[in-house]
Amino acid sequence: MRSVFFSLTTLLIAASLHGQTLIFKGNEKWEINDPFKLDNSIPPKPVRDPNKATINLVKGTVEKSSTQGGVTVVNTKRLTDVEKIVWPQFDRITEAQNFVSRGEPGKALDSIEPVLVFFEPLKKVPGNLWLKSVLIKLDALDRLENDAATTKYLDTLERSEEASNPELSQKVKLARLTLRARKGENEAVIKDATDLIAKSDDLDVLARLHLVKGNALLATKKYEAAMNTYLRIPVFYGSQTDHMPKALLGAARAFRGMDTPAAREQKLGEVSNRYLKNLISTYPLSKEAEIAKTMLTKEDRSQVEADETVKTPDGSPQPEPERTPQTINH
Amino acid sequence: MVSSESRTYRLAKSAILAVLIAVAPFTGELRAQTRPAATKPAEKVDPITALFISAMEAMEKKDYDGALKLLDEVEKKLINPPAGVAAAVEFKKASCHFLKKDWVKAEYLFNQFLTKFPKGTEDILEPNDNKVGVAKLTLVEIYLNQSKWPEALKLCAELRTSPMIQPKDRVAAFTLSAKIIIEQSKTGGADIRNKALEQAAELLKKAIGSGISTPEGREAGMQLVEVYIKLNLVKEAEQLKSEIDAKSSGSPTDIVRSNFQKINIGDARFDAAQNAAGEEKMALLRQALSNYQGVLRRATIARSVSKAVEIKSEEVEKLEASLPNPNDEAKARIEAAKNELSEFKRIRDNFTEDKYYDALLSYRIGLCLLELKMPWEAYVAFQDIFDNSPNFDKASSAYYYYILALRDIGRNTEAQQKCKEFLKKYPDSDEVSNVALILGSISQEREEYDEAIGHYNWIKTNVKNIDETTKEDIDFRIALCYFSSVEWKKAQVAIDEFLNKYPKTVAKEQAVYMRALCWFFQGRYKETKEAFDAYQKAYPQGEFLADVRYRQGIIKFGLNPPEIDEVKKICRDWLRDYGNESHNEAIINQIPEIHTLIGDCDARLASDLDPAIKKADEDMRTNAAPADKARFKAQKEALEKQKEVHVKNSIDAYIAAAKSARTNTNALEFVLRELGKLLPGRGENARMRDLYQEIYDWDHNHPKAMSYLYEVIKATERMGDKPEFAQRTEAVQKKFSAQLQAARKNVDDIVRAEGAVNQVALDNAKKAVALLSDQLAAELAVVEKDRQASIAAAKTEALGILSKAVIESINDRRQEGSEKLILFLSEKLARKVKRLKPGAKVDPNAYTAAKAEEELAQLLQLDRNKDSLIAQARGYFAKAQLATFLRDPKTADLYYKKIYNNYRAEELSSTLVAIVGDQLLANDQIAKAEEYFQYILDHHRSSEYADYGFAGLAEVKFTQKKYKEAIDLCQEAIDNNILMSKEKEVRFTMAKSLAEMRKYDEAKKIFEEIAKTKEWRGETTAGCLYWLGLMEERQGRNAEAVAYYRRCYQTWKKYSDWSAKSYLAAARIFATKMAQRADAKMLIQEMLSKDKIKDTPEAAEARQLLNTL
Repeated sequence: MRSVFFSLTTLLIAASLHGQTLIFKGNEKWEINDPFKLDNSIPPKPVRDPNKATINLVKGTVEKSSTQGGVTVVNTKRLTDVEKIVWPQFDRITEAQNFVSRGEPGKALDSIEPVLVFFEPLKKVPGNLWLKSVLIKLDALDRLENDAATTKYLDTLERSEEASNPELSQKVKLARLTLRARKGENEAVIKDATDLIAKSDDLDVLARLHLVKGNALLATKKYEAAMNTYLRIPVFYGSQTDHMPKALLGAARAFRGMDTPAAREQKLGEVSNRYLKNLISTYPLSKEAEIAKTMLTKEDRSQVEADETVKTPDGSPQPEPERTPQTINH
Repeated sequence: MVSSESRTYRLAKSAILAVLIAVAPFTGELRAQTRPAATKPAEKVDPITALFISAMEAMEKKDYDGALKLLDEVEKKLINPPAGVAAAVEFKKASCHFLKKDWVKAEYLFNQFLTKFPKGTEDILEPNDNKVGVAKLTLVEIYLNQSKWPEALKLCAELRTSPMIQPKDRVAAFTLSAKIIIEQSKTGGADIRNKALEQAAELLKKAIGSGISTPEGREAGMQLVEVYIKLNLVKEAEQLKSEIDAKSSGSPTDIVRSNFQKINIGDARFDAAQNAAGEEKMALLRQALSNYQGVLRRATIARSVSKAVEIKSEEVEKLEASLPNPNDEAKARIEAAKNELSEFKRIRDNFTEDKYYDALLSYRIGLCLLELKMPWEAYVAFQDIFDNSPNFDKASSAYYYYILALRDIGRNTEAQQKCKEFLKKYPDSDEVSNVALILGSISQEREEYDEAIGHYNWIKTNVKNIDETTKEDIDFRIALCYFSSVEWKKAQVAIDEFLNKYPKTVAKEQAVYMRALCWFFQGRYKETKEAFDAYQKAYPQGEFLADVRYRQGIIKFGLNPPEIDEVKKICRDWLRDYGNESHNEAIINQIPEIHTLIGDCDARLASDLDPAIKKADEDMRTNAAPADKARFKAQKEALEKQKEVHVKNSIDAYIAAAKSARTNTNALEFVLRELGKLLPGRGENARMRDLYQEIYDWDHNHPKAMSYLYEVIKATERMGDKPEFAQRTEAVQKKFSAQLQAARKNVDDIVRAEGAVNQVALDNAKKAVALLSDQLAAELAVVEKDRQASIAAAKTEALGILSKAVIESINDRRQEGSEKLILFLSEKLARKVKRLKPGAKVDPNAYTAAKAEEELAQLLQLDRNKDSLIAQARGYFAKAQLATFLRDPKTADLYYKKIYNNYRAEELSSTLVAIVGDQLLANDQIAKAEEYFQYILDHHRSSEYADYGFAGLAEVKFTQKKYKEAIDLCQEAIDNNILMSKEKEVRFTMAKSLAEMRKYDEAKKIFEEIAKTKEWRGETTAGCLYWLGLMEERQGRNAEAVAYYRRCYQTWKKYSDWSAKSYLAAARIFATKMAQRADAKMLIQEMLSKDKIKDTPEAAEARQLLNTL
């Protein structure tokens, strides 16, 4: 039961901390300033709370001022002494993620690069957000469709010490698969994605693999299989809302492909438009919503744009996402 | 659906609960009993202590009998031991019996322990824990296992309030109390169970009052979650569960339990949704879906638990290796690790055994999606079951819902196939009857009756486990199918058999009625009458009475001679009784039939008068005597008057039928046909026009609306040639007839007069005749002029009507019929244009192409629709079509250019996109053509223009040298049979692309296929011959190539593009590859002598070649 109590204590500590905190050896906790939070001055300056510590990446230290008997004393600790990071919400990461979703990969890269630099010396410390940032960078590069840059970055990641991290290795594999799909190696991508799906547990990875597989199936005009693959995301991975716009767009495209005079009875064109409208009304800020608008007829597009009050329609595949444990803590 | 779904759903739920019970951690027991005794470490162990340690070791090895023997020995050897030591031995003995599940002895010993040793084991077994609390809690469990509820509850109550016991044991007491209350109520009714759950909830709330941070608090919390779910307090359950999850240790045990709670919450919501309606139901289903989607999959849990087992095994091994002689604390650590390992293994094994965990999740998700009216997603969820868990034990239910999903998405053929599979695989399933009916009903709904009968008979033969009601239903459906497919005899036999087999059937009335109808449609009126009489007698207020009464009228009408008066009476009575019905669809449909029958009666009465009229006419002609003639004439006129009355009545009745036949197409078509025979002949074009106008105005988008509009225009045009012109002509002719006769007689008389002819008189007489003739002609010309003016006015009016119809839809891009009307209008205007031979003098007043175009613009009101893009585009289209009808391709092309230069595909209708797309291709506007055709593929893939998209885009890709893409597009069109009017083009582009990719054999096969297809003979045939030659040339077979080229330019001279290419290619081969320069020279000279060819680019190349020869 010791491990249970240990984890429980950790959780309790985490729950009791409000802002971003570094936990040093000996369980000493320093709340730190968010290095990316800027004030409204021109030019904006970093927001500094004197009661919180500040990280100095150049020196590799954390500095905290305190007043003792009227004298200000600066305490300094080394970043290498940090044992755990607690960072409940990282605005810069959320911002980068939003840029990716909105189809602004350049801005996403601008946002995420400093975060990667920030976490570089801390990337082995539990609770760091380096891996999450890496994924956002990969997503941004994917959106840019800059294969050379992506390949270079993947090579760097594979050469890094973190390459053995199963999570990172899985994401690198996934990114490589996406690159191959873009090169037109669709049949091989379908096979490899299918194999990886069977081996993966991470819902995010699973949703991404289904997208890659769906795209490859769509490219090879296997519309029915593509539809089946895309729809697995809203059906089985409903909590992965980040991937939903791509899944809905892919499904709409697959339905279009399935539409033939022989299948007129199924009204697949209408089904496709329903998915597009649903995508536009549910994820209006996504890049996919913009693409979906171009796929609609002029009249449908005007209607969708005019209808600002449209909520998620009945039968929408996006119920409130549930927070799901993605891995089991051992 | 809800009821059967709920039943199946309950089965699924019970199965998952079984898994839950199996994998949920077994809490609340084994507490201290399993902990090793805290024997004091002694360097020199005395024999009694050694015996006690052996007993503990035996307990660890689950050898409880051995442990008991050893403990008995310890007890015997202890002489006046301290109370704590004796208590420890007693406690352990009781624990052994508890672990052996010997409840009676365990109860006795624990009670004895508590009575004899009020201070318990003191500090002997564990510091600060005298085991009194544990003993009492264990005793509660013993009572529970023996269903001794009052004793258990009493003890719990004591524990809850006792200040002596530890806080964790107090929490456990609350939890146990709740458990007891729930257990106790299980045999009671729903109210009792609910009340018990409420009580349990209160106790558990108290248990978690001090938090859920301790294992006991968390256990109480988890139980409270389950109680909340049972009480349908799902929100509370979810909230508490989130709190517990947030403080979870991340241990597989916790995660698995949390996982199953998530399923339970989902189930509770799904159950609640079954009793809700509207948005509330949808919200509950969405929440349930979200819960199910949040549940971890089997592979994830199994992999993680396996990893946990691996890590824990290593931990145990390391501990044992690092502590070869463990002290008490180390032993406790090892034991705890072993317990955890054993728990993880149990979960892993359970998950390994439970192969259908994922399938059950997919099943639940599928059900939610089906009820959320998301059939495509449901289809995917159920498909997942068949793909990944084909042997799923609930597969039969999954199949059933999968079939429902297939029906919902319109995949009826696949649904039928699945029905058959289902019936073969699961002949004993509860859903057999439902599935059997679905199988046949799909064919029945598609009006494929033979197929439906086949399915029903197949079910009768092959499916054994059908209930009686379904058997009856199937037999009735078979009869219905025969009936619907107008197999009257077979239907009658089937109905007779059905009535004999099921004399008490609920469908008896319908069967009796249908039986009579079978006679009726076989023309057996006697039997029909008997059958209908029987129906009326048995069902005087029957559902089909209105129809039966109508049919009775028909029977009387069918008798020879018909009982017309009776029929009319029946019809009048019918209209009196049902004529004002506005809700019953069947009766509304029958109203026009009654009017038609009345019309038929009058038509029959009118035609019955024909022989008498004919006879009176003959009598009138053959009886020269004036009195007789006058009598017969009067007789004839009277008869004709009588007939006219009947004809008029008949027309009135038919018009009434037509006007009431909006929902009865058959009746409408019949009366319109009859009226088409009657009205125009009587010059009643206005009535005809008004009637068709009314019918056209019912629905301008009706498939037959265009035909109705055409009739409106035709009748309007006919209205110009009014009967009054004929009458006026007749009057004029009559007026001059006598005068001319007299004048001519005068001429004759003068000529025939004896003696010399009075020339002056003769000339005057002739002049008089000529004058009269001129006057006659002049007056007739006036009438004709009026008539022509009237006809022209009517035609203008007709054009106005057509124009109005076009204008109505000209601004709506999605109105498909608009272009058809425009074509019609353009054609009409083109016909007005008088064509002149080249060089002929143009009459300044003539109706020219320019005037036609001007009128077209006016009729389409293009000036008024300047702001409408589509109206302007349609205007250009109309002008292009007018030019096409006037054989002026240049002007037509000019207008098409105006469309494609100014419009994006999405601004045009599908017809325009397709037609203009072809024009773009013809004019080498490849980029724009690509946009147009891509738009068809994006938005009109199932439309009648889909093939334009595939053929056009493939040609574009070919032009762009993207041969693979061109082939893919052609293949897709061929595979999906999207070849309506562009098959030739699709195959030709495919063959060309294959040829460019050097797949000569495949290409040749297609070219030859096209070339030999008679219906496709023409330009493409010429193209095929050229390409066959080109392929031979590329493969170095020059003679064969020249043969194909020759066939092309000799057989298809009129297609100058291909013949020019063939001439040039053949000449090149002669000149450069076959060393036949003379032949080459001759061939080029022949080529350049052709008028159609001499100005082509190939001709220019040929001239250059000629210079080198």
